[in-house]
Formats: sequence, C-alpha cells, structure tokens
Amino acid sequence: MAIAQAMCTAFKQELMLGTHNFATNGNAFKLALFAEGGGGKSSTTATLGAATTALTTTGEVASSGTYATGGGALTKVAPTTSGTTALTDFADISFTTATITAMGALIYNDTNSNKAVCVLDFTSNKTSTSGTFTVQFPTADASNAIIRIA
Amino acid sequence: MFDLGSGSVGAVNIMTSDNGGLSNDQIAEMAANKIMYISDEAPEPIRLQAEAFKDRVRNLVQYYVELARKEERATICARVREAGQIELANAIGRL
Repeated sequence: MAIAQAMCTAFKQELMLGTHNFATNGNAFKLALFAEGGGGKSSTTATLGAATTALTTTGEVASSGTYATGGGALTKVAPTTSGTTALTDFADISFTTATITAMGALIYNDTNSNKAVCVLDFTSNKTSTSGTFTVQFPTADASNAIIRIA
Repeated sequence: MFDLGSGSVGAVNIMTSDNGGLSNDQIAEMAANKIMYISDEAPEPIRLQAEAFKDRVRNLVQYYVELARKEERATICARVREAGQIELANAIGRL
C-alpha cells in the first residue's frame, strides 16, 4: 500500500531524543495532504508509512484554495494522560474553496527539519471541488486519540 | 526490562464539500462525533442506547447550526442593506 497509517518509527526514536515538543508553546506541527494514483503534483504518487522520516513533496496534492503545499498549521492541544496512556490531540483543520483529492496525510514537525510524526490513511480518495476539505481528529481519549503511547 | 508498550495513531474523519462550505448535516455530525464516541465493542443494549442518544444530540446540534447560520445571514443582510446594497442584501436573504 502506498499510504499506510502508522506512527513513524523515526518519530518514536526522536521522542527519546527530545526532538518533538507538543506543548502548546512547543514546536509547530503541520498536516500535509497526499494523493495516490497520480493525483498529486506532477502526477506523482505518495509512498508513506512507518519508514517515513520527513516531509516529502512526492505525491503531495497541489495548492488549491487555502491549501498551500507544505500543508496547514495544526493547533495543538497540550498532551495529557488517561489511565496509563499518554496522548495528545490537535484541533480539526479545514481548507476552504479548495479542489483536492487526497488519500492520506502526514503530520510533521515544522520546527525541526520537517521530521515526520505519523501517517494518516483515509482508506479511500476524499475529494472536495471548490469546497471545504476538513480533517476531523478523533476523540482525545486513551482509546482513540490521534497520538497515543500506552 | 522496561517495555513502553505501544504507540498508536487514531483514525481521522474526513468531511468534504463541493461548490461551497460544509452542510448543516456535516457540521452536526462532526459535533456529535466530538461529543460522544461509541465503541464497536460495547454490549449491544448499551450501544443501541448510546446510538439513540447520539442521534438526539446530532439533531439538536443541527437545529442550532441552522439557526446560527440563519441569524448570521440576517445580521449580514441588515449590514449590507444599511450600506445601500439592497439587491445584494436580497440575494443573501434568499440563501
């Protein structure tokens, strides 16, 4: 599969190295959208998964509406715990008046060399035509939060 | 040995629209998803009750989303009309 949902392996290592800071006054994180099957810029196809280490332009969707290549800035919710699970969350993000077809996304650290955090697989192509493309993050709990360490 | 356990990534929900913004239904659905999550593994009687409650939440949110949009349009219409743009105000009023 060209886009496979995963917490990037390099990210796990970088957590131990203190590379990523999810505090509200910490690093800046972004979400970039990617296409499969030639839907990206210059008809390129994304290959994203656990082995992804940093933002790549291959397969990223083209700028449209309020979506600019490199993606949109995420608004962080401070990390917390639930039982024995640590978790963090982001506010939902929307791109408006945009014509986009995306199969997945990459969350990456915009402050630290665009290092990859996780890959999101939408499981099918999602399309907006001169409309709104919204990514809604899951409930921030121990079972569903976008990023969890149990 | 110190075992961290596992790191996991949650499933996102994608909402899209064509030739305009998200509909009242879509916004109500997003709000309901944030207000309550129903586990697929919940016992059926509990899951059914939860789903019924979530439907009521969704319907309530949808009503107030519609009301908020309608009232916002009314305010915009009034401001545009005050600025002398009567035709534009009427067009917004028909949305």
